[in-house]
Amino acid sequence: MRSIKHFFEQSWLLIAASFFFGLLIAATNAALSDRIEMNKVTKLTSLAKGLLPQAEKFAPVKEKIEIEAFDGKPEVAAVYEAIADGNTVGWTFKATGSGFADKIELVVAVDKDFETLAGFDVLLSNETPGYGDQIKESYFRNQFAGAPAASLSLASMGNLEKIDEEIVAISGATVSSTGVVETINHYVAKIKEQFQKKGLIGNGNES
Amino acid sequence: MATNPDGQVSLYKDTLFAGLWRENPVFRLLLGMCPTLAVTAAVKPALTMGCCVIFVLVCSNIMVSLMRDLLKPHLRILMFTLTIATFVTIADLFLKAFQPRMSEALGPYVPLIIVNCIIICRAEACASKHPVLLSIVDALGMGAGFTLTLCVLAGVREVLATGKIFEIQVMPNAFVPVAALGMPVGAFLTLGFLLGLINLISKKRS
Amino acid sequence: MDTVYILITGFISVVLINNLVLTKFLGICPYLGVSGRIDMAFGMGLAVTFVMTLSGTLTWMIDHFLLMPLGLEVARYVCFILVIASAVQLVEMYLRKFFPPLYDSFGIFLPLITTNCAILGLCLFLNLWGVNSLIEAVVLSFGGGIGFTMAICIMAGIRENLQMVDVPECLQGAPITLITAGILSLAFMGFAGMI
Repeated sequence: MRSIKHFFEQSWLLIAASFFFGLLIAATNAALSDRIEMNKVTKLTSLAKGLLPQAEKFAPVKEKIEIEAFDGKPEVAAVYEAIADGNTVGWTFKATGSGFADKIELVVAVDKDFETLAGFDVLLSNETPGYGDQIKESYFRNQFAGAPAASLSLASMGNLEKIDEEIVAISGATVSSTGVVETINHYVAKIKEQFQKKGLIGNGNES
Repeated sequence: MATNPDGQVSLYKDTLFAGLWRENPVFRLLLGMCPTLAVTAAVKPALTMGCCVIFVLVCSNIMVSLMRDLLKPHLRILMFTLTIATFVTIADLFLKAFQPRMSEALGPYVPLIIVNCIIICRAEACASKHPVLLSIVDALGMGAGFTLTLCVLAGVREVLATGKIFEIQVMPNAFVPVAALGMPVGAFLTLGFLLGLINLISKKRS
Repeated sequence: MDTVYILITGFISVVLINNLVLTKFLGICPYLGVSGRIDMAFGMGLAVTFVMTLSGTLTWMIDHFLLMPLGLEVARYVCFILVIASAVQLVEMYLRKFFPPLYDSFGIFLPLITTNCAILGLCLFLNLWGVNSLIEAVVLSFGGGIGFTMAICIMAGIRENLQMVDVPECLQGAPITLITAGILSLAFMGFAGMI
């Protein structure tokens, strides 16, 4: 008994403080968690709005789209439907891949049939400033707007203005450019496959 | 203890300004280097980090000062750590809610405020021995000194690395930015040279 | 084979490419303070490796088996720092009782390690990098410690040589160490893109 009493004598402040702090953290969390969740969604949709300006709102896709991420691990894709006047005008999703320095997170937008890319924007990247960082620049990103959503290929030199499946890499930033192209290819292919399976888009070979 | 009102005011003033120059936590006491190097690539993250540190310092100093008569000596550090961790969690939640881009830019360095030597040292050296008001003043002084240091370092790095401050172009177009200063190299080099400069200045003064 | 590949690349990544000291700025305080002599640096490095592997594993397990299933992520930082502090305390008591000579050689380092940003930083990075398997967490934690040891030993070697050179007075001590660290991190940047 004495040792328990001794224990409480020594540590009552610690226990009381833990309770008090726990309550403080829980209260702050309860007050702010909604806002934090909304911030995450707003970021993706605001970037997507830049890519699909005709969309009025973005709604998360109701079905769970499970695909294989870039490193082979299963992932639930965050796909949103772009809606205008009650019709689907496109789809947008988050794609994660690896670049030169760290991972790259992109927002990719495609048209409603998953045939052409509407473009991409960078959510998160840590690439070398002046080199890999240029994946955020419009001259690189504009090559993707209107490109076919099939396998894009990377070329070291070419016509920046011509919109086709050939993307001209950023000079001095081959790894970052490759990272972007491969990530987009991977996610477009996987999500399109899942969408066709679930019947959200046509198969393309219906007669 | 003498309750000379003039003495009290000058004590507060002295404590406040100590943190800014004489006992500047980064340049003189060499504490809290990790966030100094990590977030000073641009002025905006540096300012945000400085404000977070001020918040945590003030709150934890108040709490520790209120508890100072109840602390058991061998559980002291644990209590300090618990207090600081709580306020850092709260600061992080606020940052995620109201400044999500800054929260992402600062990343894991916000929770690293918990192990920032400055806060624990101030709790140990000052707040656990002095009344609440003096602890608050000390916290404000140290926090202001830390924020000032971060902003100076970030200002130098951002201007030389990108020619902008707060994303506003400051340098003329003919200026060729030194991108290396935005990277870890630049962090170490800038802090090292700045420390050397401070040593030179204080030696010239004395 | 795939797992082994991921483990090896993860290990190399944490030791060389994302070295905790030279690219992520973790553990700078002990790095500056203890890198004076190679034997002290090595001792500190070993102590950090030991504690890092232990805490990395423990915090990963608590994160994945307790905090995430119960939705208590908000208590993450408090839990992590308490686990780290307790782990260091336990290690210290255990060493003092059963391996006194080892305890004496670690000396002052062990209690200092709790406030070492590197330990908490690594636990948080394990979370940030989305590490999903226990073995990967163990390997990455161990790698983090090895990276720290390597960086601090290199620095100690350079500093021992610097003592024989004419460093300007205002740059002696911390400034020249930081400048050396800067050049080291420049060198380590060459490893980027390796895997």
